[in-house]
Amino acid sequence: MEAASIEAADTSHGHGDHHGPPVAHHSSTVDAQTLGMLLFIVSEIMVFGGFFTAYFFIRIVNGNPWPAEGEELPQLIAGFNTAVLLSSSVTMHWALEAAKHGNRRGMKLGMLATLLLGSTFLTVQINEYVHLGFAPYNSAQASIFYGLTGLHGAHVFIGLTLLLFATVRVFKGHFTPDEHQGIEVPGIYWHFVDVMWVIVYVSVYIL
Amino acid sequence: MPAQLKTAGWYRAAAFTLLGLAFSFSLTTLIRSLYGYTPLIDGAAITIVSMIAVPFFFLVGLGAFDYWFYWASGRPTRAEDHASHGAHSWRDYFKVNTDHKVIGVQYVCTTFFFMFIGGLMAMMVRAELAAPGSQFVDGQDYNSLFSVHASLMIFLFIVPVFAGLANYVLPLMIGAPDMAFPRLNALSFWLLPIAGTLMTGSFLMPGGAFASGWTAYAPLSTTQPLGQMCFSIGVQFAGASSIATALNFLVTIITMRAPGMSFWRMPLLVWANFATSLLVVIATPFIAASQFFVLLDVALGFHFFDATIGEGRQGNVVMYQHVFWFYSHPAVYIMMLPGFGIVSEIISVKSRKPIFGYRMMAFSLLAIVLLGFTVWAHHMFVSGMQDWIRVPMMITTAIIAVPTGIKIFSWLGTLWKGVIHLDTPMLFALGFLTMFTLGGISGVMLAMVPFDIHVSDTYFIVAHIHYVLFGGSLFTIFAGVYFWFPKMTGRMYNEKLGKIHFWATFVFFNLTFAPMHVIGIQGMPRRVADYADQFAAWNFAISIASFFLGLSSLIFLYNMVNSWRNGKKAESNPYRSLTLEWQVSSPPPIFNFDEIPTVVGGPYEYGVPGAVHAIMGSAKPEPVAAAVGSNTESQEG
Ligand code: HEM
Ligand SMILES: [Cu+2]
Repeated sequence: MEAASIEAADTSHGHGDHHGPPVAHHSSTVDAQTLGMLLFIVSEIMVFGGFFTAYFFIRIVNGNPWPAEGEELPQLIAGFNTAVLLSSSVTMHWALEAAKHGNRRGMKLGMLATLLLGSTFLTVQINEYVHLGFAPYNSAQASIFYGLTGLHGAHVFIGLTLLLFATVRVFKGHFTPDEHQGIEVPGIYWHFVDVMWVIVYVSVYIL
Repeated sequence: MPAQLKTAGWYRAAAFTLLGLAFSFSLTTLIRSLYGYTPLIDGAAITIVSMIAVPFFFLVGLGAFDYWFYWASGRPTRAEDHASHGAHSWRDYFKVNTDHKVIGVQYVCTTFFFMFIGGLMAMMVRAELAAPGSQFVDGQDYNSLFSVHASLMIFLFIVPVFAGLANYVLPLMIGAPDMAFPRLNALSFWLLPIAGTLMTGSFLMPGGAFASGWTAYAPLSTTQPLGQMCFSIGVQFAGASSIATALNFLVTIITMRAPGMSFWRMPLLVWANFATSLLVVIATPFIAASQFFVLLDVALGFHFFDATIGEGRQGNVVMYQHVFWFYSHPAVYIMMLPGFGIVSEIISVKSRKPIFGYRMMAFSLLAIVLLGFTVWAHHMFVSGMQDWIRVPMMITTAIIAVPTGIKIFSWLGTLWKGVIHLDTPMLFALGFLTMFTLGGISGVMLAMVPFDIHVSDTYFIVAHIHYVLFGGSLFTIFAGVYFWFPKMTGRMYNEKLGKIHFWATFVFFNLTFAPMHVIGIQGMPRRVADYADQFAAWNFAISIASFFLGLSSLIFLYNMVNSWRNGKKAESNPYRSLTLEWQVSSPPPIFNFDEIPTVVGGPYEYGVPGAVHAIMGSAKPEPVAAAVGSNTESQEG
């Protein structure tokens, strides 16, 4: 079935010379990778939107007490964790600025600090899960608590993975003041993860 | 290790699949032993973990991630030698390929494959319904048949086949050498066969395939046998695929248009995919969320939808429907807007006239995108949601018919006094116009709350769905496949068989689905294997018609296969079309263009003296010649 098309395809590009594609015209000032990341973040926000819908129905529409009877949420530990994550946004920004100024040491330190703070956040969160005293199957409130914080934790993990790639490349000597997209684009994602945490923290722990 | 296992390909994919199974087995068993669960080895748990993990192992083996692994580890990525561009043998279609034209063909063939499987299931459904009582399947199997039928048709056929057609023609139309992210594009494609395998394979599960409809309402879906997980997980893969493609389209359209190709000079197919991609990026995550909830409820004992665990801690069932329809209403437009784009191209070319109201066509697409997010609860009038939501949803649903109507009148305006060429693509386009209008009318009827309550969950809904999705979407898909067949294969299809296919489809489509309006209003429930004797005569007639409808698709299959092998060689521009994809050879050269063309006018100026859409290559402006498609490539092909 395909055989015929191959024949036809071969004759059509039978110029012999195997030159590369023509350079695409840039029809926008926005760079493709940044735009792609922003659109990806839009759809990530919508995933959270789905989970917040569940939160809204379980807590507000059902009129369930929050948290469920006999369950308690450690506001303070999570508050500490919020501070950790927010400062990792600062170090991330620092790393990017360092890259823009060609400061290799700053780049390395900034990335390492961000990785460290991000992993601290995850460790504290897992530790919190262990000592929380209730499980997802105890109540619908517990389900959505684990659902939202777990979804966010998964995003922290993805973010850390992306940052790890960037860090490896920093240590291999990549990135210059003109070419630092590999730090900037995962950085955008990391800031999104941080902002999302603030929203999750406020709605789950504070309100 | 043999070399075959080191290089990307099917051998390595098979090896990694085995590795993935071993991984899932050990991971599940390890976790169960840590928690002290009994029995230690649990088949259901291992199956669920495998369904999630093994596809990734498979993709790694196949080579979908090779480049990124190099990139991530900071090693120098292998210089792009474009080895993965173009297809030199049929085998290349079974590899990870980054050429948008190869991916387009991969998409279209794969999705039609699942269309035929889904169609076979529809035939079985109709066989069961040919007479009252039980023919040859029991209730649960019947439910499985229509559930898998609908899920395959929606998630593995209509949504992705449009992505496939656009993959092929959209970069050409805007004068781009490829998509913005070719490797992501390849990955999007390879997620599809995985989703399809999961859904089709669910028949092998203990307890049978998933059986709670394509809507998978909780708590029905959370209390079903294991096969249900094939839906929940399969939809995640299909959804990830469509989000990635949509993102790719948006970035491609925004950043890679040829010089001079402003938004107001883009062909409407590009506009349509722009609008669709916005819908996909924003809405699809919601179905992902809904299936995460089901998955968590089933696999880990969460209680999102459990209303019975006690006062003050219960979940919410109606929430499922809100989250699901917040995706799935926009999804009906995801399944229709690209078809609008296809039909706009065809009607303009085949009636040799500019599109009537080009800007209104584009604006109404955007209006549908916006309004599409405001009508979801019209699927829930009888769900027990808050009463006050009904009337606002009724009003917005009626309003969304307005931009849809604008488009229909624009097509009619385009046809008006045109020089109409009634070949197969045009027949399907006109068939779409009439059948979709009927489906839109039954849609507006359904928007009216009192009427909807009367026909909820009856065959009237089935009639509406099929008039918009079969008479609407599928007709545009057929139109598009015939229309671009010469471009994609370099061969002409058989016009006579095409016309026979159209008339057979058109006649038997109506004989099959029109009577469903009647038995629906009389109260025949949908999704039930048995029915009252009063509906026997109609159902028998419907089943007979549906078998002929099924047979008519074999004409199409024969035409495609045979024309691809033996068809007449196609010229570069057999329809004297202005848009860019027709200005290069059929099939197009490996990198689409030798030089990026320059766009100097609108895409639909048929019959306008001296109008030029684009100047190919480095040619000096030669207005008249360019208007009928001056091209450097076609002479070589
Ligand atoms: C003027 C445009 C349309 C209007 C006003 C409209 C209205 C409606 C309404 C009110 C329902 C709910 C019926 C019920 O379940 O009680 C419905 C169902 C449905 N519509 Fe439409 N519709 C329109 C166009 C479309 C299009 C373009 C498509 C797809 C291409 C579509 C696909 C569906 C499907 C699949 C269902 C059934 C979902 C299910 O319960 O399985 N509709 N429509
Ligand atoms: Cu709807």
